[in-house]
Amino acid sequence: MKIQLWKTLWLMGWLMSPSTMAADSDSSEAVSFNQHIRPILNQHCVACHGGVKQAGDLSFVYGQDAAYVVEPGDPESSELIVRVTEQDPELRMPPPEHGSALSDDEVETLQAWIRAGAEWGQHWAFEPPRQQELPVSEDLSWSRQRVDHFVREVLDRQGLHPAEEARPERWLRRASLDLIGLPPSPRERRRFLRELKQDGESAYHSAVDRLLESSAFGERWASVWLDAVRYADSKGLGIDGRRSIWKYRDWVIRALNDDMPYDQFTIKQLAGDLLPNATLSDLVATACHRLTQTCEEGGTDDEQFRVEAVIDRVNTTMQTWQGLTFGCVQCHAHPYDPIRHEEYYQLLAFFNNTADCDLNNEAPLIQVPLDSSREAEAMQLDTQISVLQREQWQSGLSLLTQDDHWSSPIGLQASTNNSTKVVVVDVDEVPEYQTQGTVARGTTVVLEAELPDQWKQLTAIRFTGLPEQEDQARIDSEWGFVISHFKAELLSEDGQATELPVTWVHADEPEPILDPMLSLDPKNSNGFGPFSRMNYPRQAAFMLSEPVSLTPGSRLRVSLAQNVFLQSAFPLVAHRGRLEVSNDRAFTHWLASDERQQRSAEIAALKKQRSDIPSVATPVVKERFAGLARPAFVFDRGNYLNKRDQVAPSTPAFLPALGNETDGVVANEGVERESTVSRLELARWVANTDNPLTARVAVNRVWAQLFGIGLVETQEDFGSSGDPPSHPRLLDDLAYRFGSDMRWSLKTLLRELVLSATYRQSAVITPEKLEQDPRNRFLSRGPRGRLPAETIRDQTLAISGLLNREQFGAPVHPPIPEGVWQPFQGGDKWNTPAPGHPDRYRRTIYTYIKRTIQFPMLASFDAPTREFCSSRRLPSNTPLQALMAMNDALFVEASQALAQRMLDNRKRPRQQLRYGFLVATCRAPEPQELESLLQLYHSVTNEADTSPADANAIDGGEGAGGKGAESGDAASESATEPQEAADAAAQRAGLEAVAGVLLNLDEVLSK
Amino acid sequence: MTRTTIEQEAAQQTLCWQTRRHFLQRCTTGLGGMWLAGQSAHGSKAQRGTHFPPKVKRVIYLHMIGAPSQLELFDYRPELQRFDGKPCPQEYLEGQRFAFIQGTPMMLGPQYEFKQHGQSGAWVSERLPKFAGVVDKVCFIKTMQTDQFNHGPAQLMVHCGQPRVGYPSMGSWVTWGLGTENEDLPGFIVLLSGGRQPRVGNALWSGGFLPSVYQGVQCRSQGDPVLNVSNPAGITRDARRQALDTLKDLNQINHQTFGDPETLTRIAQYEMAFRMQMAVPAAMDISDEPQSIHDEYGAEPGKTSFANNCLLARRLVERGVRFVQLFDWGWDTHGSSKAESLNGGFVDKCRQLDRPATALLNDLERRGLLEDTLVVWSGEFGRTSMAENRGGMATKFIGRDHNPRAFTLWMAGGGIQPGMSYGETDAMGYQPAENPVQLRDFHATVMRLLGIDHERLTVPFQGLNQKLTGVKPARVIDEVLT
Repeated sequence: MKIQLWKTLWLMGWLMSPSTMAADSDSSEAVSFNQHIRPILNQHCVACHGGVKQAGDLSFVYGQDAAYVVEPGDPESSELIVRVTEQDPELRMPPPEHGSALSDDEVETLQAWIRAGAEWGQHWAFEPPRQQELPVSEDLSWSRQRVDHFVREVLDRQGLHPAEEARPERWLRRASLDLIGLPPSPRERRRFLRELKQDGESAYHSAVDRLLESSAFGERWASVWLDAVRYADSKGLGIDGRRSIWKYRDWVIRALNDDMPYDQFTIKQLAGDLLPNATLSDLVATACHRLTQTCEEGGTDDEQFRVEAVIDRVNTTMQTWQGLTFGCVQCHAHPYDPIRHEEYYQLLAFFNNTADCDLNNEAPLIQVPLDSSREAEAMQLDTQISVLQREQWQSGLSLLTQDDHWSSPIGLQASTNNSTKVVVVDVDEVPEYQTQGTVARGTTVVLEAELPDQWKQLTAIRFTGLPEQEDQARIDSEWGFVISHFKAELLSEDGQATELPVTWVHADEPEPILDPMLSLDPKNSNGFGPFSRMNYPRQAAFMLSEPVSLTPGSRLRVSLAQNVFLQSAFPLVAHRGRLEVSNDRAFTHWLASDERQQRSAEIAALKKQRSDIPSVATPVVKERFAGLARPAFVFDRGNYLNKRDQVAPSTPAFLPALGNETDGVVANEGVERESTVSRLELARWVANTDNPLTARVAVNRVWAQLFGIGLVETQEDFGSSGDPPSHPRLLDDLAYRFGSDMRWSLKTLLRELVLSATYRQSAVITPEKLEQDPRNRFLSRGPRGRLPAETIRDQTLAISGLLNREQFGAPVHPPIPEGVWQPFQGGDKWNTPAPGHPDRYRRTIYTYIKRTIQFPMLASFDAPTREFCSSRRLPSNTPLQALMAMNDALFVEASQALAQRMLDNRKRPRQQLRYGFLVATCRAPEPQELESLLQLYHSVTNEADTSPADANAIDGGEGAGGKGAESGDAASESATEPQEAADAAAQRAGLEAVAGVLLNLDEVLSK
Repeated sequence: MTRTTIEQEAAQQTLCWQTRRHFLQRCTTGLGGMWLAGQSAHGSKAQRGTHFPPKVKRVIYLHMIGAPSQLELFDYRPELQRFDGKPCPQEYLEGQRFAFIQGTPMMLGPQYEFKQHGQSGAWVSERLPKFAGVVDKVCFIKTMQTDQFNHGPAQLMVHCGQPRVGYPSMGSWVTWGLGTENEDLPGFIVLLSGGRQPRVGNALWSGGFLPSVYQGVQCRSQGDPVLNVSNPAGITRDARRQALDTLKDLNQINHQTFGDPETLTRIAQYEMAFRMQMAVPAAMDISDEPQSIHDEYGAEPGKTSFANNCLLARRLVERGVRFVQLFDWGWDTHGSSKAESLNGGFVDKCRQLDRPATALLNDLERRGLLEDTLVVWSGEFGRTSMAENRGGMATKFIGRDHNPRAFTLWMAGGGIQPGMSYGETDAMGYQPAENPVQLRDFHATVMRLLGIDHERLTVPFQGLNQKLTGVKPARVIDEVLT
């Protein structure tokens, strides 16, 4: 049985194998490496001679590593041929235990290739796409757009005929659902049909223009992008708490509506923060890579999850923009594609130095104005504040860092307030405290020392917290520390303690996540420190408002309260600490300088002004201060705890070199080349026309949305283990033009596609075509398929008239079945607005997305959970979808509203049903269809008529609420008699039953 | 690309296509009998085959969320008692990472009395008096290991073989590989108790990159047992039937127009849904069980409890459900509060476990179901031999931290050596002294019992032939099989 099944599947697999799928390339050509040779090598050889295993130092993945087994022009003396034709099983390749011998055909193909010179070819997708010559088709009149010529060429070769053109209204519905995710309203339908009558063909063009101009366009296409960049409103792993990042979702919608060119769209998301003169919305765009999961579970290591997020950024970037499955290279070289293990970490190095580090507070955050028209104003303030703060920091920095300002106090003693043990040790002749054994939470380290003899005054105190193992910490960070409260006292000889007036904390980093000044606030546990993790020793100067005079024999006591306790597990206490003191008046002068005071005042005023702009804190990508950069390493077998060689940022060698971009100005301030290679250069490299993958992957994504299957079916894998394109020439031509003529405009691309003859075909499947082109990969008919989850819901709302077209803003919480919402955090509520409230009927893109509790409607219609990058949805057809569409509150409420809409718009039942059908399907029903609906209507009304109680029950059913009752009153105004009221109720019950059927029609759920 | 890859690729690519073919052959004889579209694709009853003769047909998995302490239940370590209150030896701590333990913690002896039970002489603590009576049906593995020490990732390891979300769970793999035996019920059902969802939620019963029909379906004891399985208020079953007839008429007209086989599948799925509306509530309603059964399990109709779920598990496997996954929340005994302590909440949890788990084994056996059903019990990792000292301080309540190095799992049912214990931990119960078993070995073993070769049930995804057991070598634990 099993063998039978496999055999069938094998055959079908073969039918779809590369040679048959590459339908538009010329099969009469000589042996091509990519088309003929690589598949043989991949099938028989690369398991042992590939990227992972390179037995005998032979790899067929990297061409140069296979040169020694191939003698160009001379198959007989090529080791490759000798070994595959060897009769001795001991010597034959592949060895019998690894696989069967090559077929005669395959051997002949290899021989022919070697005879012809054994030219090694780059995998097709790694060659730049080229504009193609238009194929000459016999029937030129069919093609409407450039793409059609390529499609027709394949159809002709397959002996298939295109289907006739779809009825105009069917095309209108298809295009409308594809472009804006909503069906045409009856008015839009009438307008289109009228224009068609008057103006003919141009009606199609103006309909497409209207759709592309609609603000709904971005809402439809955003969901495609959000799948790829794994957008969710929750944090993921562990507790999956709420994350406020919807400003990014709005950014995507706006960018799409504005038709932002795809290269700009790319650069802003990958490196908007590094753009010269970045706007606030450029910063919001970087939230793209803050959509990674964070882990708030107690006892989890922030560094582990920071690294996982960085890895996810690499994988998502490569899959979303480059169509490459990169996950495997985390642990070893790619088995099929020429991507080496180190190259993964060279890519990772671009992303390794961002400031975020799996913190529960989601830092770094920016305040994004709720009113987007205030963004420029807000950004200007932010920039001013940032510039001033940097200046302030810079001006005091030398005071902190120049060692000649500082002296060690004498006879350091250390103690703590709890069970944590500390000792004082001299390291390189510098005294420091060190903790011993278990460090308890809430530790205050108390340091006491004498001040240098003859000192008359004290002006500042410097604290340095050090990693336990300085050298190793640079590679593997240690848990950090936070000085929650810094208290300095002078102890007189008689034991009198006087608190010193510390007024300024100057830290060693310009814009730390926690404000160092908070160390002076005893009520706040935050303050100076590296926070969660540290790679380097960290220091800060605690300056006194004015010099404090010293009396002989007085001692200094510094109490360092370190109260931050992370993830219910990790006390952020410095394990080693040094104290130094200064009597230099430079501190006092600096503090008292007009310049500094003025800046401080200015900063405070600007901050006040800024805080008056109502804003929402949004996580963004921000580069960490260069002085504290984390070095990047190769992880042995992908494990971040086993670091190997250090690596610098770079792109994989098999793709065009980095930095050749012609359209971007690389900031070069006379610094060495390495140090200027940032995420921005990476972004420009991705968004460049020289990159062979970017445009191909992008147009393929769009193609798949319109036609159901991508030209490359494995949208996530353009590498050699993915599927070859069904129409390579079409894909190349389209990709080339997308980056050039179309100027990366998504709308231009879509306009051409939906106006094409290919797209305008009828979706009728003849039995012959079902046999010859079962999955429509040759495009012998128009696209048909179940709508995406979001479109089903939005369409249901639109048809019923409930849809609220309000745009943007914080996520909404439409009804979900009881018992579904059981978040880990009890306080995380799903507050559904009451029936009638507009937020119940917003477009699905605005629904709150929680990763661990998927919105049931989206889950059952195949939306991904948005944990990771998802390049395509695999459609299913299940009974759970049927239960959802028949019984879910949304559909019930929508059928009641649609019934009402039928009642409001037409008088007689037959007209009402016709109207409802037209609203739902964008066409008038055939007589047979109308009869069927009427039959249902009559049987329900008759039944309801004889038992009015039942009908009332339906009417009063959950969901109709005030809205239904209100308009019901209007409809039955004249129904003064009980019988008439019962009639009205029966009528409504009949219409609701019909509406329920209409919303569940296969035709309605499909495009 | 190996031959298998291409076959598998074809298998995946042609799921829908197979369905259509299948359907076209059958649609003239009526639309009944179609279960979830994809399931028939991989093998309807007629086509289905296994790699080996299966020992069991179905699985009930009892997962104690939070990780119960093996040292207070099944892994008796008298030596540990001698070290109670003494500092932990440094060799246990070097190079190890813990969730909450800081510095040098103190050892913690077993908190409860242990006795040997049954013919097999299995050690069971006084916390499970009833279960002690059925130990001869059970095989204990005391040296389970995982590489994750936080709950979320570790739970994913147990069910999906990967610490990340996005991979198919065991139940999905199994239903994908074997299909279902009851066309009116989902093949993979999830039941929750303990008052809270597992923290990674439905990722634990996700279908991952398998078609979505193979993801687990959560059934509930309160409200709709399956989402939207009830008709809206005021809609009778007859009314629904009428509407469905009309829907079918119109969809058939649509099929005549477009000839899309997917339309026929949709018609069939609506019919299936209609049957589920009867079958699911009937299966989930335990009130028709005799009082003696309720008493035996400690079940109470209308409540959500582990006891009810055990009884439901029996009813579901009885009806041919392939994989029943139970999650019971509340076993994370850190000693950080009364509810989360070995001397507090743990006692209650043991009481909630003892009676129903025992009843389940006895009941399955009485009905002859145990011989071809596999029952598994486990947490996601074990607990340390040391007392927890969260934040570097001793805690008021008694508890243990997470220990990924050793935990106990038991199995019972077809193909399993009854009355056996496999693997020994060291004297402290901290890590295996012999025969460590990785989760992937356990996965391979479960698959083997179901007649599946874990190396051959693969699906290509992200350039790799993905399988439940992952890329590291996994072995079937032949020693525990009959």
